Amino acid sequence: MSEAIFEIHGLNKSFGSTHANRNINLSLKKGEIRGLIGENGSGKSTLISQIAGLYGSDSGEMFIGGEPYAPVDAYDHKISMVLQELGVVGNLPVGVNVFLGRTKQFTKYGVLNGTAMRKAAAQVFEQWDLPMPPLSARMGDMLIETRKMVELARALSVDPNILLLDEITQSLSLNNRQKLYQLLQKLKAMGRSVILITHDVEEMIEITDTITILRDGEVVGELVSAETTPDQVKRMMVGRDISGDYYRADMAPDYREQVALEVKDLTVPGELEDISFQLHEGEILGFCGLSDSGIHAVGKAVFGLSRPSAGSVRLESKNMEITKPMQALDNNMGYVPKDRDNEAMMIEASIRENFTLPSLRELTGPVAYVSPKRMNRLAGEMVEKMSVKCTGIFQSVSALSGGNKQKINLGRWLAKDLKVLVLDCPTRGVDVGVKAYIYGLMKQAKQEGIATILISDELTEVIGMADRLLVMKDGKITREISRGAEFTEQAIIEVMI
Amino acid sequence: MSKMKEKLRKLNFQDVVPFVAFIVIFLFFTFASYNSRTGTFQMLTLRNLNTIVSQAMITIVVATGAMFVVAQGSTDLSVGVNLALSGVIGSYVAYITGIDWLLIPVSLAMGLIVGIFNGVIVSKCKVSSFMLTLAMLIGVRGLVNYLQTFTDVQSIPGSLSFLSNSAVKIPLFIVILVIMCYVFEFTKVGRYSRAIGENETTAKFVGIPTDRLKIIAFALSGLMAGVGAIFYIINMGGTSNQMGSFLEIRVIMAIYLGGVLVTGGSSAKFYKILLGSFSIQIIITGLALIGKSDVQYSQTVQGLLLLLILFLSMLAGSRRRRHVEHLEVSEEAGKAKVIDRK
Repeated sequence: MSEAIFEIHGLNKSFGSTHANRNINLSLKKGEIRGLIGENGSGKSTLISQIAGLYGSDSGEMFIGGEPYAPVDAYDHKISMVLQELGVVGNLPVGVNVFLGRTKQFTKYGVLNGTAMRKAAAQVFEQWDLPMPPLSARMGDMLIETRKMVELARALSVDPNILLLDEITQSLSLNNRQKLYQLLQKLKAMGRSVILITHDVEEMIEITDTITILRDGEVVGELVSAETTPDQVKRMMVGRDISGDYYRADMAPDYREQVALEVKDLTVPGELEDISFQLHEGEILGFCGLSDSGIHAVGKAVFGLSRPSAGSVRLESKNMEITKPMQALDNNMGYVPKDRDNEAMMIEASIRENFTLPSLRELTGPVAYVSPKRMNRLAGEMVEKMSVKCTGIFQSVSALSGGNKQKINLGRWLAKDLKVLVLDCPTRGVDVGVKAYIYGLMKQAKQEGIATILISDELTEVIGMADRLLVMKDGKITREISRGAEFTEQAIIEVMI
Repeated sequence: MSKMKEKLRKLNFQDVVPFVAFIVIFLFFTFASYNSRTGTFQMLTLRNLNTIVSQAMITIVVATGAMFVVAQGSTDLSVGVNLALSGVIGSYVAYITGIDWLLIPVSLAMGLIVGIFNGVIVSKCKVSSFMLTLAMLIGVRGLVNYLQTFTDVQSIPGSLSFLSNSAVKIPLFIVILVIMCYVFEFTKVGRYSRAIGENETTAKFVGIPTDRLKIIAFALSGLMAGVGAIFYIINMGGTSNQMGSFLEIRVIMAIYLGGVLVTGGSSAKFYKILLGSFSIQIIITGLALIGKSDVQYSQTVQGLLLLLILFLSMLAGSRRRRHVEHLEVSEEAGKAKVIDRK
């Protein structure tokens, strides 16, 4: 266990005038699970990409088992990685995606032996105990989560000595996360090493042996996971004290009597069955469940984006049924979808367009005139209010970091006079600072009497924020829990599975 | 100096290319049309400029409607045949009823109906707009040909001929232009259309009635084809067998030449219609002025030009992407400021 399998000495990398990494030293032991943590932009992903050979290095050396290592083909050195961004080819079948770039082994006379390849792919999934996806189906039709698992299988298919995982847990639901944790233990037992990045500090302490903390491209500390606390890690990450608890402090439900939204016997074929609940003003109603439990479908259905075969969604303040998304938009409802880049943002469009999109109706004056001046004002105010880091309101959203995109995604609804807000994984892929900020906004919205539906794959988040919690399984609500003594991860997981 | 550099970098290369192309084309044909005998630039004579404007007019009018469809990331290839159908039916109705002014409402209604038909099919049946309007392009042309076997070529009704007077025609054209520009740039319909082009899922998830907007866009495209039909009849003095053929190509080419991307979205800006339409018209007229009016020259040059602009835009696109990547990376690497929480 003491043998260092991989070492980095004085690694530097800069992009133009900005230093991404400065004099990084790192030593990884055999069978070690190493966490890499830091704020958005601290150089974690750059470092991991350098190890995998995606980026070159300006100076410094890497050694693998004592031999100098120049990552031209990381696979040859049994190093494999799962990237933060999706690295699958949507138009190819799942099986091919597992062996992407390495299909030659199944090729004879230029013809790909699909059966042999699928067999080999199935073996990979079985060997590492990952949930088997339909191997002949088109990759693009799979859920993000499944795509991630395929990427993981691809990384494992080279039987790696060092596995690099960049933000994989954020796209996984609870059951698959458990699988991943088991997998990590298995790798550890086999004497393989892992370097992983996650924004979830608690999770990181739980699953790693050691943690390296990066700030502004430099290693600021190394901690032994068993001996540290989340607060210590956070403090080192941001370089100053961060208030330990960004969740709610009170432990009792607290909301108004007035019902804001009532869902009755809602059934969406194949997704939801007989869903009924009441959402009150000033309430945060949490939804949790496994990935296929239908929690995400609830958000869509409430916003009128599904076609229910039975049941209704009623907006009490207007005494009307919501059947179309336009009605939801026009009646002070907001929806923050899970897949930010594909479902929420207009990536190529400017910050202004993205901020004002749901407010155009409010910005419309006489003769249907949407005044650019008023749009600029609204966008400018929101950029300031949400402290979005950008060069101006006409900057394209594609140039922003994930945290800043999420601020726009959320902020554009908060610019309106909202009654009901549906949040689907609002803190997915953002760092601790932005996370705390988003929770602050949720608390503020609660104060103002906005009724919030919080759908999340992260139990701690729901437990930390919700007044009531609905646990779902197979498209049905199986349990309602109110904020109080019963609000523990343990109790909820029992119901979920 | 660095400020200027910054400004230059912010300038979207993709938006600049069409401007440069327009100026180059204009200057080239201005100098090429220099007549040493009379010492004048033929391009700049009042008569020639008048010709350019009145010939570009139809393309522009039709493009102002088609622009909504293009902004949504779709295509309307049926505008040419729609113009023919509207014009033929409109003037035939005016002829058989003897009520001259009927030409106008009937043409407009006809254009609108075809547009709504396109819109409903595209939005409700989720078919590709390219395929559908291609089918319309062929099918409706057949219908027009059939109609013309018994309607014959109609000349403009006598009491409406006053419209062909420049003093009436040009103000009318400008009014239409201003209205369409207003709708496209300053109303929800225009903004939502661009949002759909940027990301249809986003538009839907925000609560924008995407199906309805698609119908509206195609309806506007159809309506403007109807307006185009009236302008055609005014300009040409009546209907013809070749009415509206290849117009859809000219309209779409004008929009793309102006710098609008095939995917629509934020790249769709109203002024680009004018830029693109005049670029094409100057080439056509310019070639005629220097004695190369034959179709083969004109079309070859148009095709080459489109290729060139396409190539430049591609270059610009990749440059922009690289620029964005660089920004992302430098943000990754730059000092992430801790957000002040209140």
